[in-house]
Amino acid sequence: MPRAIRGILVECEPSIKSIIINIDRQNHDYIIEDLDETHLVIKENMLVKLKIKIEDMLKDSYQVVPLKDDVTDEEDLI
Amino acid sequence: MPPKRKAPAAPKGPAKAGRASALSTPGPATPRSIENSEGVSGDEEVEVTARELEMEAEADEFVASWDLSNERFQNHSQNRHFDSASTHFGNKGQRDYSFLRLRPDHNNRPLWIDSRKGIIILEKFNPAAAMAQDLLIAIAEPKSRPAHCHEYQLTPHSLYAAVSVGLEPQDIIGALDRFLKTPLPGSIREFILQCTKNYGKVKLVLKENKYYVESADEQVLQNLLKDPVIGPLRVHTGSNAITTSYAPTMGGLVIPGTNNAVGVQQASGLQPGENKAVEGAKTNEADVYASLNAEDDDEEKATIHAFEIPDSAVETVQHRCLKLDLPILEEYDFRNDYVNANLDIDLRPNTQIRPYQEKSLSKMFGNGRAKSGIIVLPCGAGKTLVGITAACTIKKGVIVLCTSSMSVMQWRNEFLKWSNVAEEDVAVFTSDSKHKFKGNTGIIVTTYSMLNTTTKRAHDTQKMIDFLSGREWGLMLLDEVHVVPADVFRKVISTIKSHSKLGLTATLLREDDKISHLNFLIGPKLYEANWMELSQQGHIAKVQCAEVWCPMPSEFYDEYITGRANLRRTLSAMNPRKFQACQYLINYHEARGDKVIVFSDELYALKTYSQKLQKYCIYGDTGQSERMAILSNFQHNPTVNTLFLSKIGDTSLDLPEATVLIQISSHFGSRRQEAQRLGRILRAKRRNDEGFNAFFYSLVSKDTQEMFYSSKRQAFLVDQGYAFKVITQLANMENTPDLAFADPSERRELLTKILSDYIAAGGEMEQDKENDDLFGKERRTKKKKGVRRTAGTLGELSGGQDMAYVEQNKRAGQGGRKAKPEQSAFFKKLAREKERKKLQMREALQ
Repeated sequence: MPRAIRGILVECEPSIKSIIINIDRQNHDYIIEDLDETHLVIKENMLVKLKIKIEDMLKDSYQVVPLKDDVTDEEDLI
Repeated sequence: MPPKRKAPAAPKGPAKAGRASALSTPGPATPRSIENSEGVSGDEEVEVTARELEMEAEADEFVASWDLSNERFQNHSQNRHFDSASTHFGNKGQRDYSFLRLRPDHNNRPLWIDSRKGIIILEKFNPAAAMAQDLLIAIAEPKSRPAHCHEYQLTPHSLYAAVSVGLEPQDIIGALDRFLKTPLPGSIREFILQCTKNYGKVKLVLKENKYYVESADEQVLQNLLKDPVIGPLRVHTGSNAITTSYAPTMGGLVIPGTNNAVGVQQASGLQPGENKAVEGAKTNEADVYASLNAEDDDEEKATIHAFEIPDSAVETVQHRCLKLDLPILEEYDFRNDYVNANLDIDLRPNTQIRPYQEKSLSKMFGNGRAKSGIIVLPCGAGKTLVGITAACTIKKGVIVLCTSSMSVMQWRNEFLKWSNVAEEDVAVFTSDSKHKFKGNTGIIVTTYSMLNTTTKRAHDTQKMIDFLSGREWGLMLLDEVHVVPADVFRKVISTIKSHSKLGLTATLLREDDKISHLNFLIGPKLYEANWMELSQQGHIAKVQCAEVWCPMPSEFYDEYITGRANLRRTLSAMNPRKFQACQYLINYHEARGDKVIVFSDELYALKTYSQKLQKYCIYGDTGQSERMAILSNFQHNPTVNTLFLSKIGDTSLDLPEATVLIQISSHFGSRRQEAQRLGRILRAKRRNDEGFNAFFYSLVSKDTQEMFYSSKRQAFLVDQGYAFKVITQLANMENTPDLAFADPSERRELLTKILSDYIAAGGEMEQDKENDDLFGKERRTKKKKGVRRTAGTLGELSGGQDMAYVEQNKRAGQGGRKAKPEQSAFFKKLAREKERKKLQMREALQ
């Protein structure tokens, strides 16, 4: 008997896809199907969690440089 | 026994100059007498290093105490009011400056001011902008200079520099007030007054080889003399009165190479007799005035007061004055120095220095004396010529310090090219050649490391060092001054006695923010050129900057995510898409007739790229003669258009042929490296051709750390007004003939090769030996061999057990079967071709 899982199609760049696969590797609880270079189907209920995780991973390559100005402002507040 | 005693109390001897210089801790910019360093015991050295640290901390503290956000400047801005809109400006309305009312005629005034940080914004499109800019360059530090709005900041150092070129605080305040759209905020006024009140009040002057503490304000000197530390140090010469003389003026001093100089030469050439007569009259007049003034202290002429201090006390006095908030300014009255022999040097008559070079030098010689300081000019804008002109103005012994032996030769050649100095008067002191000049004065060109090595030197080196430290120098030229850490400077400055110091650099910035220390060690920043202006005037090349984003294939990115930092760097440098982009750009520009330099910090990537593309490469291990051969090929051979360089090429490499620069991998977020590399193409020969552009490409692997670093690296150049274009896709890249790594199997092959090489190297990818920072940490981490404890029987330790003869020297065992040194790709190719030809010949014969 066929089983139906609600999934979401994700289209992304290859590099982001490999990040997702890397996250999935631990428990295999995100990805339903790996379609091709740029497409994946993931479980619907895991979408929010996945987004947070990806953002976490990308933090070190897309760090926002705080403006010098803002840094000193913070200090002023204290 | 106190731990202090444990200091290596090695016996002192005359040959230990390293020790002698290590102990002397000069205050900021102090030539220190040598006598003092004799007779030293071991534990004094410990004390000295402790003092050095203390001094550094003190300098930091001093810098901090002059921060504009400091309480004392900000306490009277409470009268500001906040309304509901204020919060939208950020920081709880602190950035609401609406309490500064606009003046009715604000449209005609070009400046805005931030009363809290001293930041001044200049509207470049305002008609009065040019005048305001002249003022700002003198009193503030440029922060950012794009096309339409410039940002400057008032700092203690910039005000210090302003005072040192002779500006009065009231003039600064008046002029600022005139250009501001709003009235001058009270906090800024206070800040300017506070900073300038003390700066420049006291000067240290070397006159006739005696040190004088000099001031225009007698009261200040009296206060100093009452100080318990300085008072007793004064040299008493008969009377107790403070000596009074006249403030020096620009007088007859002419900086050679300027239009003025030409005029003077013509005048003196035409009527030498008359000229002399005038001069005689002048001196007579001065004498008369002098005698008059001595009697009734005439206030009309600016008078200065001075007292003498002994050589040995210079450092103490300087240190003490810093504590008293009276930093000492150093000046050299070289025209009245009759003790040191004059050097016969002049610029060649056909040498014309450029307007901005003249401007920078006029700041140095503003009042007829030589001030110490730093001049900041972009790479390729003729820093060397500025240095040489300064030397020609002072006309005394000159010592030039640069970063590598390659630039030593360049400096020497430049001296011979631009000035009429005799060839034997320009001596070179490197590990290869140690010459002295023949006459009693001359020019010595050497490197920082020659003077800084602490280990025991070779006999002739030692002799040379003694020669250098045993005399007085008129001018010390410090090339690429930003690379050298403060302690090296202290050491060099203490070894060599010089009257004035001139630091030259293109990028006065360090990631570790130790630049402020340079201000204390050498002097204030005298001049900083505007890059954009120079390129518009055609003194440096116009550059198009671009950042090329290269996506990473997923198999590479998989490894990237899981790999360690070391591997990550290599992988992002070895990204095959990046390789393709590099290949494409090289092909494109070679076809246009450009000469291309490719930079890579990652040595592994450098080698792979250059081998795959069949181009020359130079890195730390390349021999000197091979380097020269490759460089001259690159310059003159029309078939060699591309050159791969590791970071050894970052600075001081003079290749005016290069017009395109591609950067594959770089040193993290170093803004300085980015600017220095850009400097390699700024001096492009063809820059004055119609519509010529140099190109600067930075290849960045997408979604990796490189993206973050590259935005950081560009900060400096963006502040100078450069705009970076982002290229996400290179058009027609796929159609390049024999594009490397075009099909997936090749890419996978490359990946496995990288990974296996990585594992073979033990997780440590080869790094280039030569550091960009001349005195990198690596050299200092060399530890002494510690004591080792092993257990064993007495018989074993005395060698009574199974000791056997072992040949330690493998080479000797192999009997001359030496491993062949690795050939460069080019020679390999040659050999292959030769081999093939031989085979063909043989086949043809059969």
